[in-house]
Amino acid sequence: MAAFKVTIANTGAVVDCDANQRILHAAVGAGVDYPYGCATGNCAACISDLTSGEVAMMSYSDNALSVAQLADGKILACRAKPLSDVAVTWLGRGRR
Amino acid sequence: MSEERTQACAALLKQARAVIDTDGTGEAGLEKIKTLLVALADRGEALFPLSDFAMPNAQGRNHILALEDGDGMGLYLTINMPGKEAAPHDHGIWCVNAAISGREVNRFYRRTDDGSRAGYATIEPIGEVMVEPGHGMAMADHAIHETMVVSDEPSIELALYGYALARFPSVVWFHPEFSSVRAMPSRRAEAT
Repeated sequence: MAAFKVTIANTGAVVDCDANQRILHAAVGAGVDYPYGCATGNCAACISDLTSGEVAMMSYSDNALSVAQLADGKILACRAKPLSDVAVTWLGRGRR
Repeated sequence: MSEERTQACAALLKQARAVIDTDGTGEAGLEKIKTLLVALADRGEALFPLSDFAMPNAQGRNHILALEDGDGMGLYLTINMPGKEAAPHDHGIWCVNAAISGREVNRFYRRTDDGSRAGYATIEPIGEVMVEPGHGMAMADHAIHETMVVSDEPSIELALYGYALARFPSVVWFHPEFSSVRAMPSRRAEAT
């Protein structure tokens, strides 16, 4: 499985992410303190700007990401699998 | 909404409230409410025609059917597309579901750590229920469940919660793959 590079602008970290892996999981697995809540597309805690590259989105709830947000380049890191090298910026903070 | 459906949903809320007043929201009370909700869901397309409910723009959508006055229960019709999932979570308040169509698996867990480390949690599975036509599930306050739509068609369910979704307590999400827990803010303080 091809590994893509994910650049996380908030920290400057660059992590490997397989094509079948979610960006959030790759980031957290690499030790990045990426914000998240449900990690399954329901809460939007990991909403991020996709500043470059392409992703495939897995299933998520309407109330977590609107059609307009998606069109505006927002993604849910927990639902996004890379189709190329990508750069993302998270927009919020998760809760512990 | 059709008058017949409005009346049926209002009646369900009244019946559920009567059960709670008598039996509380322990296992016995919630099982009785589940029986009521399964019976309502079994009326299927006749009472809940899909043409009355917009499909999700993405993969999951909730439609309000009836809300109890004050800080009471909320009854919803939920539409979740094949593969839609929710990680193990405790939404702080009891819930009863019943399927109109489709199949959604509910897996239940219990927490196994002592909660002393912020952001850390471990859980273990304790059971599983398939929510499909003729069947439902009931879960108590602070039960932990995980859901996934396993049918090739959308899972369409009735969902009754102890609070309206807009007044939900903090939802706590568990992630065994990270041994982590994350609590989302309660909506109760900001709700009107």
